[in-house]
Amino acid sequence: MLTGRVVLVTGGGGGIGRAIALGLEDAHATVTVVDGEFASRTDVEAAFAAAREAAGPIDAVVHAFVDPTALTNETLADTAEADWDRRCEAMLRAALLCCQAARRELSARGGRLVLVTPTMALTGAAGFVPYATALEGMRAMAKSAARQWGERRITVNCVAPPVELMAPAGAAGPAGLALTDHALGRAPDARADVAPVVALLAADASHFVTGATIPVDGGIVMAP
Amino acid sequence: MTGPLVGRSILVTGAGRGLGRGLALACAAAGADICVASPRENGAETVAEIEARGGSGTWVRCDATVAADVEGAVAAAVDRNGGLDVVIHNATSRRSSEPARLEDIDEALWHEHVSVSLRGAYHCAQAALSQLRARRGRLIVMTSSAGIEGSAMLPVYGTVKGALRGFAKSLAREWAPFGVTVNAVSPLAETPAMTSAYEKDPTLEARLARVVPMGHLGDPETEVGPAIVFLAGDGAGYITGQTLAVDGGRFMTL
Repeated sequence: MLTGRVVLVTGGGGGIGRAIALGLEDAHATVTVVDGEFASRTDVEAAFAAAREAAGPIDAVVHAFVDPTALTNETLADTAEADWDRRCEAMLRAALLCCQAARRELSARGGRLVLVTPTMALTGAAGFVPYATALEGMRAMAKSAARQWGERRITVNCVAPPVELMAPAGAAGPAGLALTDHALGRAPDARADVAPVVALLAADASHFVTGATIPVDGGIVMAP
Repeated sequence: MTGPLVGRSILVTGAGRGLGRGLALACAAAGADICVASPRENGAETVAEIEARGGSGTWVRCDATVAADVEGAVAAAVDRNGGLDVVIHNATSRRSSEPARLEDIDEALWHEHVSVSLRGAYHCAQAALSQLRARRGRLIVMTSSAGIEGSAMLPVYGTVKGALRGFAKSLAREWAPFGVTVNAVSPLAETPAMTSAYEKDPTLEARLARVVPMGHLGDPETEVGPAIVFLAGDGAGYITGQTLAVDGGRFMTL
């Protein structure tokens, strides 16, 4: 599906980013990974430019970066201001810097931008207010970017996996949000189930889809 | 004073003018005592208008980005009323209606939006929880259709307003066991910010009128205010985590 396409994945060094990167390779994309912190606009743009130098002009960017502390289960009342900053505002800023760097790389030929925003954004989750706040901000950012960059043939969409897939190994996400089980009878696998939907959003077929959020959770949330 | 909110203590951030002032006037007319939190003297003008109509309130100089300021505003409301029933986080950056391209957003404009809307919401929640918990109170955050459907003109405003919906949903789950509700209200209102947006984009008013089924922007006090009065009142205790659109039908999704 993605033969000859170059896809840049942020947060691709581990967790769901790595699983998506592998799944995109399964779909025959040339995948380049940007990892590490989103410290400044200059840094992120330099990292994207280095990825382009190595892999060729970028066709799609997937933002799968998640701060390792974002999924800390802690009430907001107990959350120190520095932790609020790191789990919420810095995550949102990382998405901004990714969008800006992606816009710079994609602007000449159009392209695809996909943000990974777990379903927790849609449902809300006790214990995870900072990250859930950032995620709903990311969804709104994607829609605004989609509106502004459509004229450049850049589409911007969100893919929403269940939050368990975002957690670093060993960490548990929020549980018990759904009254029902997965309609499809099992939890999704990031590489086998989520990555193909990301691949679809990077492929020709989805060229008229923009500003959308696509839940890929096996049928738990079924958002209105 | 009579009305559904008699005896209630309500704190409104950004109540010095515009939508926040209208919400403060509506709640005061419904009988509540209002703590007008504003960093500028226009907060005193809001209080003067409340008092001129027979209501009660006080102005507290409060920058929502500063924890101590928000704590001071909560303390002032508690001093006057022995407690706090409702916090309305309405404050936004003074640059919130400044059109921008997402690719051009710099650190300064980003910080403006995030610090007032998001850090301000964090400070409100931190400062008010123990008081709200004692009275099974309400937290209301003001969002926007820009936060629901994105905005081609105001991408960062849309981002932080969308983020506030995430804040409301998750905090609603967290505070429900305390009997405290958390909701978002998405208004479409005639405000100084809208007037300034019209000045920057003269076609905006006509375009908006076409896409608002009710054909006009809402009046902050008489068309948006009553929804806040309802959420702050006795009948709304089982509503939480919701976004209530008070926007003339602009946005219909659910």
